[in-house]
Amino acid sequence: MSRGPIGIGGAVVSGKGLRKQGLQRLARLGTYAGPYRWRLIGAITAMFGVLACTLALPLLLKAAIDSAIIPGDTRLLAFIAGSVVLVGIVGIGLSRAETYLTGWVGERILTDLRGDLFAHMQSLSMSYFERQRTGVLISRLTNDVEALQQLVKDGLTSTVRNVLTLVVAGTILLFLDFRLALATILVFPLMALLTYFFRGQSARAYRLMRSRLALVTAALQENLNGIRVIQAYRGEARSRAALAELNQSYRDANKTTVTSSGWYFPTVEFLAAVATCIVFGYGGYLYVDRSIEIGVLVAFIGYLASFFDPVQQLSQVYNTFLAGTAALDKIFDVMDDAPTLVDAPDALPLPALTGAVKFEDVRFGYNPERPVIDGLELNVLAGQTVALVGHTGAGKSTIIKLLARFYDPQGGRILIDGHDLRAVTVESLREQIAIVPQEGFLFNGTIHENIAFGRPDASRADVEQAAREVGADRFINELPDGYDERVQERGSRLSIGQRQLIAFARALLVDPRLLILDEATSSVDIQTEAHIEEALQRLLADRTAFVVAHRLSTIRSADLIVVLEHGKVVEAGSHEQLLAIDGRYRGLYGDWAEAVAR
Amino acid sequence: MQQHSLELTSGAELRKTFWPTMRRGVGLMRAHRLALWASIVLAVIGQIFTISIPWATGRVIDEAMRPRDTNQLRYLIILILCLAIGRFAVMYLRRLIAGTMAINIEQDLRNLVYHHLLSLSFPFYDRNQTGQIMSRATVDLTALRLFLGYGILFFTQHTVSVVAVMAVLLWMNPIVAAFVLVIVPPLGLLAVMYSRRSQPIVTEAQQALAHVTTQAEESVVGVRVIKAFGQEDQEVVRFRDRATDVFTLNVMATRLRSQYVPIMDFLPTISIALLMLVGGREVIQGSMSLGDFVTYSLLIALMVMPLRMLGAWIGEAQRFVASAIRIFAILDTEAEIVDAPDAQPLPAGGGAIHFDGVTFGYDWDRPIVSGVNLDIAPGSTVAIIGRTGSGKTTLTQLVPRFYDVQHGSVLVEGVDVRNLQLDELRGAIGIVAEDTYLFSATIRDNIAFGKPKATDAEVQKAAERAQAATFIEELPDGYETLVGERGLTLSGGQRQRIAIARALLLDPRILILDDATASVDASTESRIRRALEEVMQGRTTLIIAHRLSTIALADRIVVLDDGRIAADGTHDELIGTNDVYREIHDHGLVDRRFVDADGDHVIIPVGVDQEEGS
Repeated sequence: MSRGPIGIGGAVVSGKGLRKQGLQRLARLGTYAGPYRWRLIGAITAMFGVLACTLALPLLLKAAIDSAIIPGDTRLLAFIAGSVVLVGIVGIGLSRAETYLTGWVGERILTDLRGDLFAHMQSLSMSYFERQRTGVLISRLTNDVEALQQLVKDGLTSTVRNVLTLVVAGTILLFLDFRLALATILVFPLMALLTYFFRGQSARAYRLMRSRLALVTAALQENLNGIRVIQAYRGEARSRAALAELNQSYRDANKTTVTSSGWYFPTVEFLAAVATCIVFGYGGYLYVDRSIEIGVLVAFIGYLASFFDPVQQLSQVYNTFLAGTAALDKIFDVMDDAPTLVDAPDALPLPALTGAVKFEDVRFGYNPERPVIDGLELNVLAGQTVALVGHTGAGKSTIIKLLARFYDPQGGRILIDGHDLRAVTVESLREQIAIVPQEGFLFNGTIHENIAFGRPDASRADVEQAAREVGADRFINELPDGYDERVQERGSRLSIGQRQLIAFARALLVDPRLLILDEATSSVDIQTEAHIEEALQRLLADRTAFVVAHRLSTIRSADLIVVLEHGKVVEAGSHEQLLAIDGRYRGLYGDWAEAVAR
Repeated sequence: MQQHSLELTSGAELRKTFWPTMRRGVGLMRAHRLALWASIVLAVIGQIFTISIPWATGRVIDEAMRPRDTNQLRYLIILILCLAIGRFAVMYLRRLIAGTMAINIEQDLRNLVYHHLLSLSFPFYDRNQTGQIMSRATVDLTALRLFLGYGILFFTQHTVSVVAVMAVLLWMNPIVAAFVLVIVPPLGLLAVMYSRRSQPIVTEAQQALAHVTTQAEESVVGVRVIKAFGQEDQEVVRFRDRATDVFTLNVMATRLRSQYVPIMDFLPTISIALLMLVGGREVIQGSMSLGDFVTYSLLIALMVMPLRMLGAWIGEAQRFVASAIRIFAILDTEAEIVDAPDAQPLPAGGGAIHFDGVTFGYDWDRPIVSGVNLDIAPGSTVAIIGRTGSGKTTLTQLVPRFYDVQHGSVLVEGVDVRNLQLDELRGAIGIVAEDTYLFSATIRDNIAFGKPKATDAEVQKAAERAQAATFIEELPDGYETLVGERGLTLSGGQRQRIAIARALLLDPRILILDDATASVDASTESRIRRALEEVMQGRTTLIIAHRLSTIALADRIVVLDDGRIAADGTHDELIGTNDVYREIHDHGLVDRRFVDADGDHVIIPVGVDQEEGS
């Protein structure tokens, strides 16, 4: 919910350094505007035109008063009025072009950037995703890009426009009357100082308010998620009090923004009135001295407004600039992260596999100093089902991650059909393997799309065939829209068992030579259990399979049971073989048998 | 609740409910009406000051400059300064009072909605997804508070501004005013139209952005599957499509803005031109003073902004009402499960439960349990078994009165639960649900959730009895370890043991265990089971179980089939006579986890599971 504290907080970087770095980031962002430079040039040209039209008005009013009304020239008056209409019409046209073009280019840049960022993220290695928190990565693609939106759409154009307005309006003021301009511009430093203080105060207040609001929202969310527990344990009154307290602290933070805007805006209005007094007080004397005309004073009032507004807006833009460059930093940081796992320059595509797998003295640790896999030796024949068994932390999951080449080993090598995994292209490897993770992850989309995830062009008949073979057709056919039923919220409406069967069908459709399966541990009811077992049999047949096994039935029917301890194979063999020796497997099995016998 | 869902925002129904909802929404401000009136009065006074300044400027020209009277000039400039000071004071007060009012209204609204949500019963939360409720409590609440906190005041203030300026212009010179004010209707109309037309696009764009977020989330969370199947490219295409949807909608909004806003920006130039033509001619003819002419030119600018804002607020009113309807739908949902007026405290006893012809379904016409008769003696342990969907969980949830039965009655200690004080009833029941929810708090706070004043010793005792103490003590901060969404992620088995500790700490008369040992491995389960054996002493226990070993703890087994009691008796009685039980008995053996789950983010201290051996 909250964008969190942004920008200014990073006290480590000095203001100057931040600005310099910020400008570099902006220059890099500028490369995204390259393809649309003509539209951008059009937008800037239109902006100049709009500015000219806006600033022409007080001059025309001055001309009307001094040259037409006071001398009584009605023909000139009509001409000037006509010019005003013309300026208005031209202004509408140019402003239309400016609004549309700047909006278009801004949106285009953001869309391109977002797409590139996403594409880059997808190319990063698994280790990257395991290092980063999901929330942070998602926030890069959403909150940070949106923080940029302000900068790209409003910030940059409004900076240009405001600086330009300030300069042009100031120049016109000086040309209209040098003395009066100097007198009124006295107000300017006061206004700037005031605005500077206000912006600082309000930025702090705003951040505090946002973070308190985030707390309120998070607390509410949690209370709603846990409402059943709260009511079961009669925690309603406490939750109420806690929420009310958070509300109060949020309100108190809000109060500071009320106070600061309470004095700022009336003061700005007051200063504008002071400027009017100077114009007509000093200007009035000059008029009495016959050294100025009334129209000049009227034009002055008009230009002073154009002169003060940019001061207020530029200070706002500065905050946008800080927030935007902070977001840019984070985005480019991700884009500068190179994938750690890339194909070797001379990598060859893996030929069609038979599926023999060999681990030779494989060593690996997420932290190289603490190996999780330590000198692993394993030889699996094509077509065998391997059950990996062991306690948490024994290295079961790591082995299958290495086999799928989400990571490269730090020592030794892994061979498939005699090919070192590092010598073949990742794409050709993943084409021939399928992985079924513990929880059947479902994407937003139809059941069909979910089953066909690894083969998006699969026909309906193929999809149905795969579903039938794992027995998923039973429940799919009962859904209102069958295979076209949309999966909502990662399939929360489907049971755990059903999600699993879909994941099985997904793997089966790819018909991989090598299957990697992380068996689910969640409890399902007996019928579903039977269906899953049946589906597993079908899935494991005719291919090499590595299973992180939790079910006894799976373990018992495996060709090779590998018992792992601290990243090493301590025992390997069939169920019968392993029971025959008095080792770890027999111990584990004993626990189980004893539990059942109770 | 169901019928009042998001779709209501459309068309005819909205128009019909517009004014009643508006009235009711405004009614929420009753407590703040003093502040509202004060703000309105101050706003009107401030507006009078604001209009006086251009008027005084005109006087400067007519009465001081043209007659070249420096005394008068000095006097008038001081007058303008005084007006400016007056306006400053009034506007400062106005902002303080109105701003404080707005945040107080927001606080009231939040408390009102949040408190009501906490009081709503299970059926409400069954029907409505958390995401939906959150969206109402955040997005809709924001629309409501903006309207009540600022909308009404601004609406009044801007109306006053526009009317006052128009009145002054007409009073000064009706003919010139008639020309100059030509732009008022089209400007107001354009502002309303713009707001109405852009609002649906903005909403749609927000939705498209939400899709981008969903897609981003999915691709990050599901990255393992994507990479495993080598579908990165497909995902990138899908994501770019979603991003392009946002682009298309935002460009539509931009196009709309480029159609309306420039016209609104430059429409006042028409007024200026007309002022020159008509007013300028009158000045030349002597029927209007030059000062009035200048006052006119300044007042036109004063009128434009309020007019545009007024139009925008009118356009937005529709959104407020739509949001108000959704908020009121929540506020109008009554808590179904509340104390009866003459509810009595729970009588003393050992936890006798009696189901008397109980029929209940989440939908009225689809009973989940029907005609259940069951007598559970104080201190006994009953296992409830049956297939998925047979009504096991539903049946147990009727005991703490999470739902009210449709027919028949549930009695605890011989009293219908509908006649008992909820606090007392639920206070006597400890529940361990199938999926355990932990709050983002310390482990200690989670265990002590039902009894916040429990001592550390009591909490530790409960944890020990639930076989949770060993792993808790090995965590970095022990009982002070932060868990839940913003803390350490625990494994399913660990969460369940904490939930058991939470229930045990209450020392409840009745204990309900809903498949409480589902996701723990054999060794842990056997230890929990021994703990349960101990804690079941002296209380009534209902266990929903899939596993024979757990079932074996019970004195009595109730088999549910399709919401009815299919069998009821001891293991020995049922094994020979009941098919459903035999099926469970035979297949239940397979349903055993061999070793503990190896989750990715699960921290299970090495050694815990081996230390005692089983």
